[in-house]
Amino acid sequence: MTGSSLSGGLDPRVRAAAVSAPVRSAALRPWRTQSAQRLAFGYALLAPAALYVLLLVGAPFLFSLYLAVSDANVGDPVARFIGLENFRSAWEMDTFWIALQNSVIFLVVAAVLKSLLGTSLAFLLLQDFKGKKLVRGLVVIPFTLPIAISVLSWKWMYDSQFSVINWVLSRMGLIGQFGTDGWPIWLGDPKLALVACILVNVWRTFPFSAIVLLAGFTSVPSEVIDAAKVDGCSFLQRFRHVVVPMIFPILMIGFLFDTVFTLSDLSVVYLLTQGGPGNATKILPVLAYQIGIQAGNLGRGAAIALFLVPLLVPALILVLRNLKRREY
Amino acid sequence: MSDGRPVPTDVHSLSRRGFLKTTGAGVAGGALATMLDARQAPAQIKGTTLRILQWSHFIPAYDTWFDNVFVKEWGDKNGVKVRVDHIPHLELPARMAAEFAAGAGHDIIMNGSSILTRLYYKSLADITDVYDSVGKKYGGWIPTAGPLVQVEGRTYGIPMFYILLPMTWRKDLFDANNLKAPDTWELARVAARTLKPKGHPTGIQFSQCADANLNWRSLLFSFGGAEADPSGENILIDSKETREALRFAKALFDEGMTAEVFSWDDASDNRYLASGVACWIHDAISAYRSTEDTNPPVFQNTHLAMEPAGPGGKRVSVSAANVYMVWKFSKNQQAAKEFLAHYMDNDLEGMKQSRGYNMPYLLGNTKKPMPIIGADPKMQILQDFPKIVAFYGYPGPFTTPIQEVVNLFVLPDMFTRVARGQNVEDVMKWGVGEYRRIFAKHKRA
Repeated sequence: MTGSSLSGGLDPRVRAAAVSAPVRSAALRPWRTQSAQRLAFGYALLAPAALYVLLLVGAPFLFSLYLAVSDANVGDPVARFIGLENFRSAWEMDTFWIALQNSVIFLVVAAVLKSLLGTSLAFLLLQDFKGKKLVRGLVVIPFTLPIAISVLSWKWMYDSQFSVINWVLSRMGLIGQFGTDGWPIWLGDPKLALVACILVNVWRTFPFSAIVLLAGFTSVPSEVIDAAKVDGCSFLQRFRHVVVPMIFPILMIGFLFDTVFTLSDLSVVYLLTQGGPGNATKILPVLAYQIGIQAGNLGRGAAIALFLVPLLVPALILVLRNLKRREY
Repeated sequence: MSDGRPVPTDVHSLSRRGFLKTTGAGVAGGALATMLDARQAPAQIKGTTLRILQWSHFIPAYDTWFDNVFVKEWGDKNGVKVRVDHIPHLELPARMAAEFAAGAGHDIIMNGSSILTRLYYKSLADITDVYDSVGKKYGGWIPTAGPLVQVEGRTYGIPMFYILLPMTWRKDLFDANNLKAPDTWELARVAARTLKPKGHPTGIQFSQCADANLNWRSLLFSFGGAEADPSGENILIDSKETREALRFAKALFDEGMTAEVFSWDDASDNRYLASGVACWIHDAISAYRSTEDTNPPVFQNTHLAMEPAGPGGKRVSVSAANVYMVWKFSKNQQAAKEFLAHYMDNDLEGMKQSRGYNMPYLLGNTKKPMPIIGADPKMQILQDFPKIVAFYGYPGPFTTPIQEVVNLFVLPDMFTRVARGQNVEDVMKWGVGEYRRIFAKHKRA
């Protein structure tokens, strides 16, 4: 038995020491605090995603930077540092500027069309009608079909001789007969070819935009919409002042995904036209593939592909800034 | 011949070691000779695995024979497990790059049309011995075969076969309009000009596809033009012959084609012929064969012709080359070499199985009558092609700058620009500029 128990309580010095002990140990070992442990737990949860991004996005990006400043080619294991020579070579190429211009046109036109069609489709799918679930399943088919199969089907539909689109339009009297000037050559006319490629890209990916928007629309509480209706807001006013602000983060993420998907879409153009006729549909990913892989100049291919970054960065900044502004 | 007298020998001068050496060498030499003669593979390849990557042949029956009969029999006979993977020919360069980067993959890899020897030769096995022995056995290779696979005096590939793109024409339409057979490019143009108003235009791809690269080169070279000199170092595209070829193509388009050709891919001309519309096309014999299957009445009247001659009477047929290569990282190079030698021993059987599609590079196998094409009166003309066959880069080799020129479709784009109405001199300025820029870049590297 101790003196403290005899006196019916702890000696104040002992008590003070007992109270201050955990405080001192926490001061010595800050990672033992509850908040620090919570933070560590948070980072642990984040680690797999961070590692994934680092390995599958960061590492290839850094590797492409390395390739872009080297004379690497597909058949030579040793690459020399050549500075910005690959970028200079790309700038000197006539085809590079055509590809850059086409990439911007492709991105902007496809984005506008996808926004319009995606929003319309999302509103349609929001309505109550018979077979709604089936229709919702069907509309995502273009997005889920293997790209090679769907694009080859389009290639047939755009065929200069057997185009089902042309035969239908011709029967309807909207275009001329086969063999006449009124018969459109979808993949042979420079302007039509770019339009044809954009249309296939839009057809393939606008259901994705619609699904993203639909997810956003369904998250808006019906009470808020009802309140706006009671206040006399029209459909467009409700959309602009109520729905859009509420689903803004989703819209921004959708926009970012869409920009990345469109800019890096190699398959549609490659399978339909390989960049022709006469470079009319050449976009940066196709040019990078032709130079980097087919012609074997990995360095120059990587440099051309890296020109996509300045196109993507403004979109990324726009999205992140808007999201951050809304956070506070 | 022996004269029957015994050969005097000094038995005392032959030591036991010397005797063993002499007899040992004799036995080994005899065994090797027998093995080569019987194409019997050495014992060390028994129990190994050989992996081959190649295209999906345009004649599916060839793949069936190759995978299930030819390869199987060789594998069973030599105790080698052979695995053959097929991918579309356009994917071969990307797959080759991936296998090179990984340092692993197949033992034998095929190159089709884009022959990448000069890009990869440092990573390919030197198979000069196989190339030389096969060549010696079958009377040598056609002259344009070597530059496809040789770099700095060594050989890094075995030319398998090439694909011809002959003139394929409708005899009934020509006869009905008193037109001469398209033996020259001028006669072909006259026929197209005459038959287009009657609903039978012609067509060559003015687009970015493999056939465009091949067809326009055939025309250019037959007009006396050239891409690079025999060293492959100097560009020869800037010539009056190139200008003449461009002007001719423009006239051919205006008079005998429709705008469809700007959208064509490699198979469009096949369909054009099979549909009964085309008066002639310049394409691989797959077009002829597919018409046989899909439109027999048109096939009856479809004939094959020699490569049309240019204004000076020159004929050059640019063909699609196909080559087998062996990776240096392959752990089974011995089996790969044995297989390639065996493959070339069966060159003519491959030609049969491909219905005459696979044309042989070996001169001994080009003797008439050749299998399939020698027996078919309409195809016999193809036997005259080996002496006029050329490949990309003609008269130079298929160098890396030419490879880039081909992959960026510079030459078909020159023809397309002219056909679309651009001035020939402006197009020449653009095209020559592209050639110079690409060649200069490779020299800098």
